[in-house]
Amino acid sequence: MFKLAIASLWNRRGSVWLTILAIAVSTLLLLGVERIRVQTQANFSNTISGTDLIVGARTGSTELLLSSVFHIGNLSNTLSWQSYEHLRELPGVTWHIPMAMGDSVHGFPVIATTDALFERFKYGNKRPLQFAAGGSFQQHDELTIAVLGAEAASERQLQVNDDLIVAHGTGEISFSQHDAHPFRVVGVLKRTGTPIDRGVFIPLEAQGLVHGEYLPADEHDDHAGEDHQHDRHEHEAHQEPPVYTLSAVLLGLENPALALRLQRTINTYRGEALSAIMPGLALQNFWRTLSLFERALVAISVLVVITGLLGMLTTLLASLRERRREMAVLRSIGAGPITILGLLVVEAFVVTLVGVMLGTVGLYSVLIFGAELLQQQLGIHVSASVLTLRELYLLLAILLAATVLSLFPAWRAYRNALADGLTVKL
Amino acid sequence: MSTCVELKQLQFTWPGAQLPLLSIPELTINRGERVLLRGASGSGKSTLLGLIAGIHTSGPGQVKVLGEDLAGLSQHRRDRLRANDIGYIFQQFNLLPYLSAMANVTLACQFAPARRQRLAQQSISAEAENLLTRLGLTAAQQRQPAHQLSVGQQQRVAAARALLGSPALIIADEPTSALDQAHRDDFIQLLFEACDAQQTTLLFVTHDATLAPLFPRAIELSDINHGGGGRDV
Repeated sequence: MFKLAIASLWNRRGSVWLTILAIAVSTLLLLGVERIRVQTQANFSNTISGTDLIVGARTGSTELLLSSVFHIGNLSNTLSWQSYEHLRELPGVTWHIPMAMGDSVHGFPVIATTDALFERFKYGNKRPLQFAAGGSFQQHDELTIAVLGAEAASERQLQVNDDLIVAHGTGEISFSQHDAHPFRVVGVLKRTGTPIDRGVFIPLEAQGLVHGEYLPADEHDDHAGEDHQHDRHEHEAHQEPPVYTLSAVLLGLENPALALRLQRTINTYRGEALSAIMPGLALQNFWRTLSLFERALVAISVLVVITGLLGMLTTLLASLRERRREMAVLRSIGAGPITILGLLVVEAFVVTLVGVMLGTVGLYSVLIFGAELLQQQLGIHVSASVLTLRELYLLLAILLAATVLSLFPAWRAYRNALADGLTVKL
Repeated sequence: MSTCVELKQLQFTWPGAQLPLLSIPELTINRGERVLLRGASGSGKSTLLGLIAGIHTSGPGQVKVLGEDLAGLSQHRRDRLRANDIGYIFQQFNLLPYLSAMANVTLACQFAPARRQRLAQQSISAEAENLLTRLGLTAAQQRQPAHQLSVGQQQRVAAARALLGSPALIIADEPTSALDQAHRDDFIQLLFEACDAQQTTLLFVTHDATLAPLFPRAIELSDINHGGGGRDV
């Protein structure tokens, strides 16, 4: 019966190929969307870990999350250096990463921070940042130095000891450039698959310098005389602050369970209106708002699959008419109506199976040969990993749906076979 | 075990029709007989064949094939009986156009375990080749897809399929109406020879009265059928 179905399909290969193609394309789309969805979500929740609280000026949690973790958007409000000093002293705080943002290098966000970022920041499964080349700020005496994320470095083709110009504002093209202060690259980070890759990290003092907020200690000796050998990371509290305002501060706590209490303390801080968010929770909330979009994407791809299957149904139904003769011949040599029904179901199954396999092969060719393009053009990183169980279920669901759908034309053929018997009028 | 087909008090009415199409008090065809059944178009010939082949059903005891009361058999058993013991030849378009002549013939054994059994001593394809050769198809023609063969060749392939595995009964429904006279007589002669070789009963249905002299027994359907609900076909 199987061989017969194949032979019959081969006889109609023109239209069958088109049907297979339609199913392959819809399978490719469904799998592709599923893959992008899952990997985006994974990338998303991997962006930050180990940080217990993110503190910024009073704002919405999503805004604070977007600016501090994803470096997207501009926080209109900032928190003062005094608030940062207060935060550092809060009980239970073991580490803190100040961040000041607003500048950019050819569209890559510039994040002014301290070495604490390279030591304390974790992403994914508590993985620390690592240097691919060079090192952090602390080995260098000069201020106008920068550490680059992997993508920023590779896209701008910058290496350690290269110079770069920081521009004010976050646009790709800026008319006000801080070109009086070229920065020297001192380190390049390894790829993390998070927004860190796009970051350009400079010391806080450098940010203050290019904005005219900070003068290195040796240039205003008279005020800060006692602190000649400026070890800025240890002593910035006692000096003139390197910057007056910060965009956000990441806090690590002794005990993560304290986060909730500390959050309330910070939110009710009297010196300044502050917001503290827990990154895990905020990410989850944010993802929930994105999930509408995500669900729409899945819905569309499911609809495309249904369209593909309906196309197959149509071709099957249309072929029934011209195949009545074929059915009658089969009946005459003893094929039962159930055999006729089975023949059509097998046919639909084979067509769908080939379509689904072709679609899967297509997906992998896109993933393997198009990965570079996807990454460059869309910034989507999708790996060509083995099919997940969920993807296999999706493929099985397509096959099952096709088989169930094919019962309809198969039933028609069954009825025809019973009614026509051996007399078919052409 | 001498009767092959036995009709008794057969009444058949199509659903929705007022009068029975077929009402045949009695008809018996013995094994090995070669019978011509003549009837005009729409007289119920094809319906009668459908009843004998077990496609349509009538009341209990009315149609017996090889001693089996068809009304007492399930759909599946009737399909099986047809596959095993009845070879069927249509007027035309007998073959699956996308299979070779050879594959069309061997297809007869696909649903018929008894035919395969009867062929046990030789392979199915060897016997199919044998039959096709005897019916005058060259080896090259046997490999060709069925749709490339002429109508006459197609009918001979259909005959080979019906004969393969020595079924007890061959039903031929106007197999020669698409052939010219020379081919027609040729075909009937070949069919006779093959049936004789296998001792197969032949029920040959036609509207063409000129064929009657070729058959030992010719039946006029209107003589035996008292039903009047003929359809326009």
